[in-house]
Amino acid sequence: MISAHGLTRAFDGTVAVEGLSFNVPEGTLFALLGPNGAGKTTTVRLLMGLIGPTSGTATVAGYRVGGGADAGRLLRRACGLLTEAPGFYERMSARDNLLFFGRLYGIPERTLAHQIERYLQLLELWDRRDDVVGTFSKGMKQRLAIIRALFHDPKVVFLDEPTAGLDPEAALEVRELIVRLKSEGRTIVVCTHNLDEAERLADSIGIMRRRLLVCDTLARLRAGRDGDGRVTVRVTLTGPAALHAPALVAETPTPAIRDVRAVDDVLSARCPADGVPTLVAWLVGRGAGIRQVESAADSLESIYLRAVRGADER
Amino acid sequence: MTRSILFLFLAREWADTRRNSRVLPLYFVMPLVAVALPVLLAIMAPSMVRDLQRSAEPSTVALIENLARLSEYRGVPPGEVLARYILRATVGMFLLMPIAIASTVAAFSIVGEKQQRTLEPILATPITDRQLLLGKLLASAGPTVGATWLAGAVAILIVDLLFAARGMTPPLPDRYWSVVLLVLAPALAAAVSLVTMRLSARSSDPQATIQISALAVLPIFLFLVAVFGRVLMRSFPTVLGACVLVMLVDLALFRMNVVRFRREEILTRWKS
Repeated sequence: MISAHGLTRAFDGTVAVEGLSFNVPEGTLFALLGPNGAGKTTTVRLLMGLIGPTSGTATVAGYRVGGGADAGRLLRRACGLLTEAPGFYERMSARDNLLFFGRLYGIPERTLAHQIERYLQLLELWDRRDDVVGTFSKGMKQRLAIIRALFHDPKVVFLDEPTAGLDPEAALEVRELIVRLKSEGRTIVVCTHNLDEAERLADSIGIMRRRLLVCDTLARLRAGRDGDGRVTVRVTLTGPAALHAPALVAETPTPAIRDVRAVDDVLSARCPADGVPTLVAWLVGRGAGIRQVESAADSLESIYLRAVRGADER
Repeated sequence: MTRSILFLFLAREWADTRRNSRVLPLYFVMPLVAVALPVLLAIMAPSMVRDLQRSAEPSTVALIENLARLSEYRGVPPGEVLARYILRATVGMFLLMPIAIASTVAAFSIVGEKQQRTLEPILATPITDRQLLLGKLLASAGPTVGATWLAGAVAILIVDLLFAARGMTPPLPDRYWSVVLLVLAPALAAAVSLVTMRLSARSSDPQATIQISALAVLPIFLFLVAVFGRVLMRSFPTVLGACVLVMLVDLALFRMNVVRFRREEILTRWKS
């Protein structure tokens, strides 16, 4: 449903995004992660056709980005956008705001009225429909902006920080709505800083800092197939772990072992998943008493931090 | 769809204007000023003309003689000729309205959307640049023209009643008033709106846009009035020529605005 190849955008010589290549299959949710200024919003604007690429190509919902005015209109009609800041006409009511934007989308009046009522009910804003938006809380405005992104029934939905500024209950409601949208077969791109949210919702994840540093399904990222290929292993010993840590670093019984740490009786390291038995055997061979061995796949947080910090070092 | 979208912007912005304390007063103050001038002249005209005739200054006599030769004043008593001529000149006030009101409303058009952060959601809809700019133009010039016409109609009604009360033929609207109100004022409102919208698209502050547009538009208008004002009030073909010229300027400005409207420039260079 979304396909980008070498998508690059520079502003006055400053490269905002560079060489983005990824695919988002229909009906899946792609989470785009990255620090502030990483180019997430620029990527969404590129994919929506709001700005043009300096180089590279992208296709969204069957329409080529930058494919001319008509393709641009069809592309925007096929997509819904939740912007980072939910802007509304503060002196107009919630319903009048939605009517205005719905008419800009060309939604027939009867369908529009039905959709507005449906979504206002769903997001619990129906009772406030005639109140001016200026009296709404940030969370209410965010929910209203989500309605605006959805009421024209888009095939592809771009959500830029959908739960930012929401209280936990409202954020949960929004996440449930996103899950429901996915179950309806929509393709969703979520830009977020919330790793927990990405972990819960996403089928695939892209971590970017100007370039796409990591891009794969969460399961594959955790398995390390496209990451650094390691899991974290924690071995609880009967004696001080410091007795074995230097030798472990020096002898490297398990290839590609990294991040060896000794804290009291716990020896931790990162190594390939199939290297854990070798590590345990090596410790036993050195006469270490082993009480417990834990092996854990990487959390998204550690994958994220490793990717972003790695990009910093480069 | 295009027509409904254009009126959508008009309806929305008018609803917004009604609650905008910086813009709404203009819709009352400017028409009041524009109506007051011809009405005051109509009230004062008999005594003023009598005084001028009594003074019998050569320049006044020459002016009356010149005016009496114009086709529309044939058969009109000399004193009334002068009163009608002075009244005709007051239509210029109805050209100041489009400048003052349209420039203020248009200043909020694009930059106001930026400030409310509604521009990106609008640009994300399937509307074209042309539709957006036409909608904004209509939203800015439409109410201004409406206010000008309403004020003009009120002025005409009061002046004509005052003349009729004195047993004189109602003088308004003459063909100058008709063309200036119905053609030149809307064309001027469109020109001012288009210039201000262009400035608004590049600006981040409505007040700055109003000031810049006032600096850009008002001096040019006053200069043109100073140079061509007398000719415009005496030569009807010149008025028609001015209408055609301003309409051509409108077309050129609109085309330039569409060509130079850069969605991404507006989106990416705007910092709140």
